[in-house]
Amino acid sequence: MIRHVLRYPSARAACLILGVVAVLATAGPALAPHDPLAQDTAALLQGPSAVHWLGTDALGRDVFSRLLAGSTVSVLASLLSVAVGLLLGVVPGLLSVFLGKRFEWINLRLIDALMMLPFLVFAIAMTAMLGNGLVQAMFAVGILITPVFFRVSRAAALSVANAEYIEAARLMGASTASVIRRHVLRKVVPAVAVSAASMTGACLSIVASLTFLGIGVVPPDPTWGGLLATDLANLYDRPFGPIAPALLIVATVWALNALADAMRDTGTDNKEKPA
Amino acid sequence: MIRPSGKRWPLALATALAVAGCGGAKGESEGKARLRWAFMLPTSWDPVTSRTGADINTVSIAYASLTRLDKDGNVQPALAKSWRYSPDGRTLTFELRDKLTFTDGTALDAGAVKAFFERGKTQKDSFLRPEIESIATFGTDGPLRVVFHLSRPDYQLPYVMAGRVGAIASPSAAAKDKAKLALWPVGAGPFKIVEFVPESHAYFVKNPDYWDAANIHIDRLELTTLSEPTTTIASLVSGAIDVASIGPQRVAEARARNLTVTTAPSLNANDLMINRNKAPFNDPLVAEAVRYAIDRKELVRTLTVGLGTPTNQPFPPHYFAFDPQTKDQWLYDPAKAKALLAQPGHAPGSVNVEIVINPLINEGLPELLQAQLAKVGIKSHLRIVPPGSSSWQSEVYIAKRPAAAVDGTVGRESPVQNLLAVYGPQGIMNLSGPYSPKAFLEAVDKVRATPIDAPEYRERLQRATRLGATQSTSVWLFSTPFIVATRPRVKHLNIVPSQIRWEGVTVE
Repeated sequence: MIRHVLRYPSARAACLILGVVAVLATAGPALAPHDPLAQDTAALLQGPSAVHWLGTDALGRDVFSRLLAGSTVSVLASLLSVAVGLLLGVVPGLLSVFLGKRFEWINLRLIDALMMLPFLVFAIAMTAMLGNGLVQAMFAVGILITPVFFRVSRAAALSVANAEYIEAARLMGASTASVIRRHVLRKVVPAVAVSAASMTGACLSIVASLTFLGIGVVPPDPTWGGLLATDLANLYDRPFGPIAPALLIVATVWALNALADAMRDTGTDNKEKPA
Repeated sequence: MIRPSGKRWPLALATALAVAGCGGAKGESEGKARLRWAFMLPTSWDPVTSRTGADINTVSIAYASLTRLDKDGNVQPALAKSWRYSPDGRTLTFELRDKLTFTDGTALDAGAVKAFFERGKTQKDSFLRPEIESIATFGTDGPLRVVFHLSRPDYQLPYVMAGRVGAIASPSAAAKDKAKLALWPVGAGPFKIVEFVPESHAYFVKNPDYWDAANIHIDRLELTTLSEPTTTIASLVSGAIDVASIGPQRVAEARARNLTVTTAPSLNANDLMINRNKAPFNDPLVAEAVRYAIDRKELVRTLTVGLGTPTNQPFPPHYFAFDPQTKDQWLYDPAKAKALLAQPGHAPGSVNVEIVINPLINEGLPELLQAQLAKVGIKSHLRIVPPGSSSWQSEVYIAKRPAAAVDGTVGRESPVQNLLAVYGPQGIMNLSGPYSPKAFLEAVDKVRATPIDAPEYRERLQRATRLGATQSTSVWLFSTPFIVATRPRVKHLNIVPSQIRWEGVTVE
């Protein structure tokens, strides 16, 4: 599948960007030229220079170092949300097809209820109840994206649930778990993978929004969203400030969406070469 | 619903535009002065259940107080045209103006004032009770005289009555529905409420029956919640709001964008509240070390663009309650802080503190404090109380859960009232409450018993400040003036030391 996906130029560009982001996420803090938390109150709101490539913030901290150091939390937070969403969405989504009408009805109503909750308000409420931490906020986001994975996995499972080879497997005595594992899962995974890529991009934006509001990550820890908020606060003194964190967020979200599109196109017509 | 036919659409559109245009022109020709102000909504619209000092700014839109302060902080007549103490200082009589009415049409007379304060004494969720505890009983002497019978002489009361405490609410409205009063103010203030959406806005129109209505030149006042600091200037420039408080760091931007920036002396002071009942501050040496670890000059330079003033007391240095004797106490001395920590055997880095912060205020201050504490070996981590004023109220002011919290005071009309708010047993900003130093409380009692024109008044007041500052654990940091940005159409801003008022303000 990877070979097919990489036929698309947009997918190749996306992989390149995501590769850079992966490097930043894993080695960002180590690559930072300065301590991202070190304040220098004699050098506030400075412009780009040889020492501070992206200048300094309102407390004299090196913005470039904070951008690098904030990559890990920003990316991991999105991945954590998607993991929660996958776990809570895919398993019930598959089981709702095979475990009978009552289980299906309860799950569908729960998912309907979740779809009605507003993202930011629910995340703020969760952090108010459980404490203002990254895990709590991302867990809240993960719960809210559960319906996406539930519906995608359920739709994919429904498309094969009545296939003859599934019926044959059942007649031969295969258990539900075995049927799902051996025959259904391989049909569901590509659709879920597309959604996961797309939702990782969405979660990155949500993480940026939450940290922009001061939810999830506590100062002085840097995040891309937090940096954007700080830079916007000092827009008059550093009008160029928000460009770097905004570009990083936009590029990553675009790359994830482009990759998701390529995966979807590959899945729908993997024989046809892209134009 | 009536719809115009297809052929009539252009005509209908032209008519609609003409009507809209005429509407605007009519509104202008009537000369209605509308002012939009961005500020925090009060914790309650009922003065009895309102909880914070900053509430007086908004409560005073709908309510008039018995007295009021002038720009120099001196007490002046308001609903009460005069007052006098008995020779022994145990009875205080306010003489009300004649023919005062609440906006619900009921009379504001001595009986109404008595009923208001009795509710303040008896209502279960009253935040007025500690403020009026020196008043034993309330009486009347005719329809215009209210008599306070005091349990001990208290010469601060005319000042106290200039604020939230003396903002008289309609007893009829309270009798009908106390809970509604928290959402729908019924007072005798400069404006009458016409619309309120919690967490969003409150709209008011001029109250023609306000005792000083001749000085109100605004026909409609629209109070909206404080916008995100980053968008405040843009909101002012675009005309979405006319008046807003701004931080010192935004003064240059506001001026550059042709807004009028007014700075005025305030009673604002920022502090790191310390809870002596919680580790590690149950060790007094750790609390003392924090005082020496803070470089106030760096805070002022970095956060206030030089507009602030360092202070180690809950008052700015220009205020008469500021104690000059302790002015130079706890100057920045990291070596002494380290030595103090070493005494009880705290190894560098072994003291760990959680500091609770409010993300909407004190931008940058918590991180600077954290860095300064780290320099003397005190590790700290910040915990954000989620946005929403009620969370901060319940977590910090009421439950007093944190070991440390970054906060500040906007001051009170009476200096004693302010001292009790920050050091008193029931003070909302005394994180160590109900602990309050005994010597401080005795000193406060002496101040209360001293007439404000007595020669020893100032010395006694400053001694109470000194005892509060030295015997409690909170660390005062710096003071900032009122900084208010306005659109050029707003003139004659009226700022008294503890609040923004609307008498005399004009809108072109």
